[in-house]
Amino acid sequence: MLLLQLLVNGIVTGCALGVVAISFSLVYSTTRIFHVAHAGVYTLGGYLAWSCAMRGIPDPLALVLAMLACAVLGALIQTQLYARLERRGATHLVVLIASLGALAVIQNIIAAVYTPDILQFPSPWAARILSLGGLRLTYAQLVTLVISLCGFAVVMLFARYTLLGKRIRAVASNPFLAEITRLEPRRVYVYVIAIASAVVCLPGVLVPFDLGLQPYGGITPLLTATIAMIAGGVGSIAGAFLLSVVIVVLQNLSLLVMPGQWSIGITFFIFVIFMLFRPRGLFAAA
Amino acid sequence: MDFLYSYLILAEIYVLLGLSTNLLVGIVGIFSVSQAAVFGVGAYIVADFLLSGTLPFLPALAIAAVCCILLNVLITLPSLRVAGDYFVVTSFGIQLLATAAFTNWTEGTGGANGLPGIPPPTVAGITLTDTTQYLAMTSIAAVIGCLCFALIMRAPFGRLLRAIREDELAVAAAGKGVLRAKVEAAALAGAFGGIAGGLSATFMSFIDPSSFDLDASILLLTMIVVGGARTLAGSVIGPFLLLALPQALSLVAIPTTVAAASRQLLYGLLLIAFALFRPQGLLGEKL
Repeated sequence: MLLLQLLVNGIVTGCALGVVAISFSLVYSTTRIFHVAHAGVYTLGGYLAWSCAMRGIPDPLALVLAMLACAVLGALIQTQLYARLERRGATHLVVLIASLGALAVIQNIIAAVYTPDILQFPSPWAARILSLGGLRLTYAQLVTLVISLCGFAVVMLFARYTLLGKRIRAVASNPFLAEITRLEPRRVYVYVIAIASAVVCLPGVLVPFDLGLQPYGGITPLLTATIAMIAGGVGSIAGAFLLSVVIVVLQNLSLLVMPGQWSIGITFFIFVIFMLFRPRGLFAAA
Repeated sequence: MDFLYSYLILAEIYVLLGLSTNLLVGIVGIFSVSQAAVFGVGAYIVADFLLSGTLPFLPALAIAAVCCILLNVLITLPSLRVAGDYFVVTSFGIQLLATAAFTNWTEGTGGANGLPGIPPPTVAGITLTDTTQYLAMTSIAAVIGCLCFALIMRAPFGRLLRAIREDELAVAAAGKGVLRAKVEAAALAGAFGGIAGGLSATFMSFIDPSSFDLDASILLLTMIVVGGARTLAGSVIGPFLLLALPQALSLVAIPTTVAAASRQLLYGLLLIAFALFRPQGLLGEKL
């Protein structure tokens, strides 16, 4: 039964992480920027929603407001930071350093404004427990599972069928050709980061309903998500989502044999295995 | 006076770390946020040997240096195999893994409580209890480190490293061993990191995981970005400036609850500002 419970917990958290992974994958496969500051956006989303919830705004509305704010933040990071760096001919290393700087700024503003302690959402519904047979799921977990799966489906459909989605994929596959066919890659980059920042708010707000908020809590999920993205193959949205679920389920199952503080070790071990045997990932585009 | 001496000692220890980070990030061009992990491993090894009394200071420092060389080569190896960005993941991963190990492996590291009461080092029969004596030792270490760095920069090996950063393919085509040069640079960076760790552990006489976490790695990176990449002057001025900053901040009335956060916030702002407006740092070459 414990095994089944861990498996279900793993699937729930894995789906949430999968949304982080697909949002990061969107940014990375299009702009080729290793957007470390995404971890900050993820954390900030949760805090903004918490502020709204504390002011009595209903939770669904708080989620939407946080998504809007983060989309604006993402667009600002692209236009004010990455685009400027690109115009100045900055090397990849410098962009990475700037992104790390942005992450430090976002995290520490959060820590200074909200204190570094763990915060809990004031929503009584989230902790209510649903028992299925011997399985126990909180409502927060249930909502996370459903919304994460919906988020995944929407992103898939968006990338495949909408005009903007096609434009993003075109820019991702060949920025030069996109430039000469007037798809305006630079403008697309702004859209992509804004969309990804809004999408990452889904897990950024929903996971803390269950586990609480911490200003420095974004790095481990982002690292796990990037590992899932690489293992799934850069550019494959479904691969990133699937591998996230697999990695988190393995992490949860590892709790049977070792204490939870070492789960980052499991994640990293998976990464090393992939690096050694399949560095291009499982579902890499040709 | 003691206050000034402590600042100088710490700054000199961080000069060694700055040299180590500059070798990797500045010269070879490998993004690294795991140098604090190497620093920590060096510190914990020396602390463990001294606390158990099994080895005197210098042999312990030597063992720490060797372990850190091995560790840093191991960390850096993936960057030789996989291109660019995957190494960012490795680097973050190693740092988080190291923090997990420092916090949770209680037998070796004392866990979150750290290791108190590390005895002062004995060098050539003298036990260094006084800060002036200690300052002499760290000065010697820092000068040796700077000398090594300056000599390497002038030597053919230094030119080879710079050439690798400019164009790896061209260097390989010219028949030079790219892999070997990178491994050697990583080894040197590891040695500097390990020795700095040992010095810091004995000087502070107390170590805990918070000195070797991701924030510490970001601080090291900020030192290099602010000081300047690839020059000796840059690696020296960065640590001295950034360690003076918290003192300057303490003059401004900031509540203690947000002091740590505002310090890190400042490092982040510095990283962004220098990346945007002065990628060569104060006294360096363009990153």
